[in-house]
Amino acid sequence: MKSRSYTYWVVIISLFLAYLLAIVPLPDWAMNWRPQWVLMFVFYWTMALPYRVGLGFAWAAGLLLDVLEGTMLGLNALTLLIVAYVTLSLHQRLRMYNPIQQSGLLFILALVALGLSHWLRVISGQIEPVDSMYLLAAFSSAAIWPALFSLLRSLRRGFIKN
Amino acid sequence: MFADSRFDYLHSVRFFLSYTATPVYWVADMPARTSELFDDVFVSHSDLLAENERLNNELLLAQRELQVLASLASENSRLRALSEAVRIVEGEVLAAEIVNRSPDRASKRVLINRGALQGVFVGQAMLAADGLMGQVVEVMPRSSWVLLVSDPLHVTPVEVNRNGERALARGVRGAADELELEFVTQTQDVRAGDLLVSSGMGQIFPKNFPVADVISVNNDPGQDFAVIKARPRAEINSTRHVMLLIPPRVHETPVPDVEAPASEVQP
Repeated sequence: MKSRSYTYWVVIISLFLAYLLAIVPLPDWAMNWRPQWVLMFVFYWTMALPYRVGLGFAWAAGLLLDVLEGTMLGLNALTLLIVAYVTLSLHQRLRMYNPIQQSGLLFILALVALGLSHWLRVISGQIEPVDSMYLLAAFSSAAIWPALFSLLRSLRRGFIKN
Repeated sequence: MFADSRFDYLHSVRFFLSYTATPVYWVADMPARTSELFDDVFVSHSDLLAENERLNNELLLAQRELQVLASLASENSRLRALSEAVRIVEGEVLAAEIVNRSPDRASKRVLINRGALQGVFVGQAMLAADGLMGQVVEVMPRSSWVLLVSDPLHVTPVEVNRNGERALARGVRGAADELELEFVTQTQDVRAGDLLVSSGMGQIFPKNFPVADVISVNNDPGQDFAVIKARPRAEINSTRHVMLLIPPRVHETPVPDVEAPASEVQP
């Protein structure tokens, strides 16, 4: 029981880092390239610990991101829920993939998440539609994934004993 | 999600969730604070002397202008008394700092380090030293989101300082920090270089506060209205220190308790 709560702390602290990276102010040219940090962390933890980190976790993580970004409550919660659901249903296959193949799926998930959140905000009148440059974040997320994967894997192996 | 965008009752949920957001904002702002600290500590003697001299000169200029202004103000109040117009009451201001900006390009909003605990409320006007910047759209315990005047969903009621022509200034889409005057007919007298000041209509912004400079006027006979672009006076992307206007009406009433602004907000 003790090691289990310990696991949650590792996940939560790593997620705190993801939140920081997600809201740190960036110069104009880099804004569109900012990777989907929280999405990638949720992707990793649902893949690595599918029995401990699930849909409820993804939903709560998304809700906090909504509060941080000042978007309407439930927007990121919904997109992260979709990401976690797909990852959970594919996690056994995903673990067999090498990181390059995983980043292929991550790319598609990030693209769906970005598009859905933009579309929902436009139809609810939160923002005016912009050009599609915001989708660039999916490319940067996929590009950075192999490095993040090995980092998070060493974190998991160092701190969490299955 | 639908409930949040359409109904009010989730605002309190949101308000309490944002207590958890405060430490994240605080850590995310650390690089900027550190660089400011370094700027303050490692400054040379000659730089300080030069700055002191510059500030003294500016103070002299400002004092001279203030004397002119005082006479103008008294003259103005006499004229207003003649025309029985409502006297403009100058509100107090609350100093604030911009600590973050909206992480997506589509909405031009900034985060300031003052919130409900300091008496910030939704709809409060935010000013920079050189011009109008925006209005508060969401209040959290110790921070607030401010919609900038250059956001495409923000419309500022303005008038041309030179002749009092009224117009509505909306932010343009895309990355540019520009405003567009809406529904100005081609016969109205607006020229490039005109100063746009807030007209005070809409009762959110103070009257006669500089907003933007007209940079181009394009009269295309094929279109119904003139295409007029303006650039905001405030350095929207580089200012850190801003002011929140406290209107006299709110100043008289006691500061609302913590939950009140969150439950009463009407975006």
